[in-house]
Amino acid sequence: MKPMTKKPAISITGLLPVVMAAVALLLTATAHAAAPGVRGTNFALSASAAFISQPDGSLVYSWGYACSGGGTAAPFGPATGSACGNTMQIPGPTLIVTQGATVTVTLTNNLPAAAGNTSILFPGFNVTTSGGVAGILTQEAAHGGTVTYSFTASTAGTHAYYSGTQGDLQVEMGLYGAIIVVPSAIPANCTSGLAASNRTAEAHWGETDFRLAAAAYNHPKACYDREYLFQFSEMDPRIHRQAEEQVAARSTCVAGAAGCSLEVATEPYHPAYYLINGRSMPDDMDPNYAAEYPHQPYNGNPHMHPGEQVLLRIIGQGRWQHPFHEHGNHVRILARDGNLIVSATDPNSLAGPLLFTTTTTPGVAMDGIFYWTGKGLNWDPYGHNPASADPLAKLTCTPDANGYNTGAPTAINYFEWCQDHNKPVQATPTGDVAGNGPVTLPDPNILTNGAWYGGSPYLGPNATLRATGCSAGAPAGSCGATGSTPPSGTIANPPASEAGFAFMWHSHNEREITTNNIFPGGMLMMMLVDSREFQIDETN
Amino acid sequence: MRKLSPVWLPILLVYLATAVASAQSFRVQCPTSTLTHPTAANNNAEPAYVGPTYTGTSGYPAATAHVNGAIKCQQISGGDGYATMGDGTQTYMFSFGPLSGITDIANGLPGTEFPNVFNSVYGGTFVPGDPATSDGAGPGPNSLSGFGYNGAVGLIPDTTGNTAAPSTGHVDPRPIEDVGVMNGNIPAPLMALDEDDEFFLTLTNVGMIMRPDLFEQHTVHFHGYPNASSFYDGVPDASVAINIGGSFTYYYLAPDAGTYFWHCHITPPEHLQMGMVGQIYVRPRQNRYSGDLYTGLQQQQLDLRTKCDSTTDILCSNPLPAIRTTAAGPGKYAYNDGDGSTAYDVEYPIQIHGFDPNFHFVGMTFNPEGFVDMKDKYFLLNGRSYPDTVTAGPLATISADGAMHYSQPLSSIISIPAGKKLLLRISDLDVTEYQTLASLGIPMRVIAINAKLLRDQAGNNLYYTTNSITLGGGESLDVILDASNTTLYPSGSVFYLYTPNLDHLSNDAENFGGLMTEVRIN
Repeated sequence: MKPMTKKPAISITGLLPVVMAAVALLLTATAHAAAPGVRGTNFALSASAAFISQPDGSLVYSWGYACSGGGTAAPFGPATGSACGNTMQIPGPTLIVTQGATVTVTLTNNLPAAAGNTSILFPGFNVTTSGGVAGILTQEAAHGGTVTYSFTASTAGTHAYYSGTQGDLQVEMGLYGAIIVVPSAIPANCTSGLAASNRTAEAHWGETDFRLAAAAYNHPKACYDREYLFQFSEMDPRIHRQAEEQVAARSTCVAGAAGCSLEVATEPYHPAYYLINGRSMPDDMDPNYAAEYPHQPYNGNPHMHPGEQVLLRIIGQGRWQHPFHEHGNHVRILARDGNLIVSATDPNSLAGPLLFTTTTTPGVAMDGIFYWTGKGLNWDPYGHNPASADPLAKLTCTPDANGYNTGAPTAINYFEWCQDHNKPVQATPTGDVAGNGPVTLPDPNILTNGAWYGGSPYLGPNATLRATGCSAGAPAGSCGATGSTPPSGTIANPPASEAGFAFMWHSHNEREITTNNIFPGGMLMMMLVDSREFQIDETN
Repeated sequence: MRKLSPVWLPILLVYLATAVASAQSFRVQCPTSTLTHPTAANNNAEPAYVGPTYTGTSGYPAATAHVNGAIKCQQISGGDGYATMGDGTQTYMFSFGPLSGITDIANGLPGTEFPNVFNSVYGGTFVPGDPATSDGAGPGPNSLSGFGYNGAVGLIPDTTGNTAAPSTGHVDPRPIEDVGVMNGNIPAPLMALDEDDEFFLTLTNVGMIMRPDLFEQHTVHFHGYPNASSFYDGVPDASVAINIGGSFTYYYLAPDAGTYFWHCHITPPEHLQMGMVGQIYVRPRQNRYSGDLYTGLQQQQLDLRTKCDSTTDILCSNPLPAIRTTAAGPGKYAYNDGDGSTAYDVEYPIQIHGFDPNFHFVGMTFNPEGFVDMKDKYFLLNGRSYPDTVTAGPLATISADGAMHYSQPLSSIISIPAGKKLLLRISDLDVTEYQTLASLGIPMRVIAINAKLLRDQAGNNLYYTTNSITLGGGESLDVILDASNTTLYPSGSVFYLYTPNLDHLSNDAENFGGLMTEVRIN
């Protein structure tokens, strides 16, 4: 551990390509998210201090929860160690419980003596307490002591938990986490029909199902195929520095004695770090449980295939609102704080809003469904070419009642939108993709390629290799000197192996996609829509 | 002035090399016909909607049942410019400017044109600042532009000698630079589409003359486009970015009707704060339909692309209404509601911005900008603060090139004919904080959020009435101000839109101004 360092403000525009290149090199290709956590009914959490890492090189003094007993890892564990690593983490361990269960959480206060008491609130649940000492909002654990909370997990969905003691300081310092309540019953349509086809497709490409359940709620509209949990918060480094200094100055004080307390100014509030799951971009796209972030185990690195219903669990854990913009499509809000939003006239119909910007609000948890299919582009994103010699360029698209190619779950164009099948976008053919479309693509030399550019307008390596004249069977010499990669390169989404459609998911209060004055950073991640031929690996 | 660090040298050499390889790459694209719109003569006006493009599960290459929509084209510059703030300060911007529909833009209209207008070649000679210079515009308010030309600036006759269709997209870079340099607008040029249109949007990067140290790329992000392709999504990290001296044509099939917006996606905290933000909206198919609106929406349900089936699609927002009305078209509607509930008589796009004068000054002067301390002090409606919001006509600003430019063409005066309904298309592209806009007098009826009709999956409208709306950066919504009660809202009365964020009622040091404008009943 070392003291937090403050770097000088660095700009920006001029440094962008360099920073982006550096960023991309840090990425691990196999790191994809999910919603890891600890499953069970009895949990032991301890609150303690540690330093968390930020991409500007800072180590920030923080307080967080560790899972110190109870529960089992679910559905996949940390890469190393047991489910309860007894390591302080931000956000706190995600507690995964089943609807209707009686949940018990025992909190031990291992914070420095000067930090005083601490406690946990479980908003939305009817909590009974035992032990501890009286606090304003709930029973608290004194320094070195414990308190036990218990409640029935009455409502399914995503919920927040956080400190109920001196929240302006303790939540800022990192004492927050999530509870996911899995519904006790799953609607039949979430395990049959399209949902079953999606499992077939997953299995065909060797993907493991890491969902906590097949549905977010016991409701026929709440089925999902993949899930991600994002917790939003900010950090004002001055608060953390003051806390660190005062704790150090009172390191030998006796809890409860006069003067053994902190006097950290939590206003005016001036955050410089904007976090998703405790990490700033690009760290958020590294693996879950990555060794370089021992106290920030959870990532934010969503991947999905066309047509998959993706459950987003979004919690505002800081004190500000953040307009989180999902590129690529809208999100249907299913529920707020575990309360489904359904039509007043038909309980089987949803009534939550459709949003392209999901505002995170302090203390509020939202569940929403996102998907991407490419419907309505008016061109074939797979660049199918009926005149090709490559059988994958000549796949058929047989529309189901909704217009999607869902009858062939093992095809790479599973869930293609069939109305645009074979419809060209380019005016003149390139490589093995046909012309006669509306648009003349420009000279690639006048363009700069992004780190996540897939190398062509098309989705997936097969289409991209064909579009760049680099597919097997393409005429000799048609593939350029840089292969399928364009002249100025791409890094994070390789044209020959992934070539996904990358979409930026980020706070649209754009100042918040910086890390202590450095762009890019903060509340930003890249979501990848991958064609079926790319295996999404959520192992870590 | 900052030094060129060694790390830049190899990169710069690459750029120089590419510049040699492709000396001039400006180009516009606006085909007169396409596979989707095969008959050129039909693409210069919106045809009536009588039925679906495709029925059942058919699609390309099957013949269409009806050809719907038309072709629309627009050219914009990416560069820099100056705007005038409410306290008279000239503020430097990174900005987009119009390079087509320049007369329409100056008159507060969308610069989105049909091919026959876009592809017309200008007969005269542009001078820097046009159309403002030729109009004889002065600082402050100006009357409507009488310039007249709305085609693509720079377009020249087909070099192959095909004089019938000068649409090969060849352009002369000189008029593009003459008109495009230092010609930034706030908000960026207005765009308007009709559902089923194909939209060809050409971004031409003319460079930022005030910042020769930067070779900034620009892009266009069509914010909220459903099922977007990343190629045309404008995120430089996920696609391509357009270098100085280059053009790129974005291609979109007009998405579902609604109020969207667009902006550059290069270094968003910088380029958005500096002013590269604009408005785009899509008018519904229902506007082109005559007859019973419920029947019209049933027609749309016959095409899987335009259908909303809530039982199978969780992301569609306009199923058939639960209550069938006798509402009939033609008329103006914000959405394909099927019940006439989004009808309006006049519409105004209103975009909310915030400018931090320190950041803009630093941005002009070669210094590194900080983000943590960003603090907006100008609060803008369509690029203007009160009292400029109630100035009619385009605002002109003299730029560093010595020419007048229409920097803020879009007035923020809201005029409602007595007894009529107003649709406000509101978007927020502030990059630092949430902003609230309140209506004093006429209540706001919120009919849509984020370009989606407020309707549950069972077809019940979920509209609500309020006196204020709050938006973060990157959000939009639609409200209707119903002034049909001429007793409450008689001709000649004036109401206000203003912000209850009282510190936003200011223009930097002036403590009166900011996010406020008038709603006038004519």
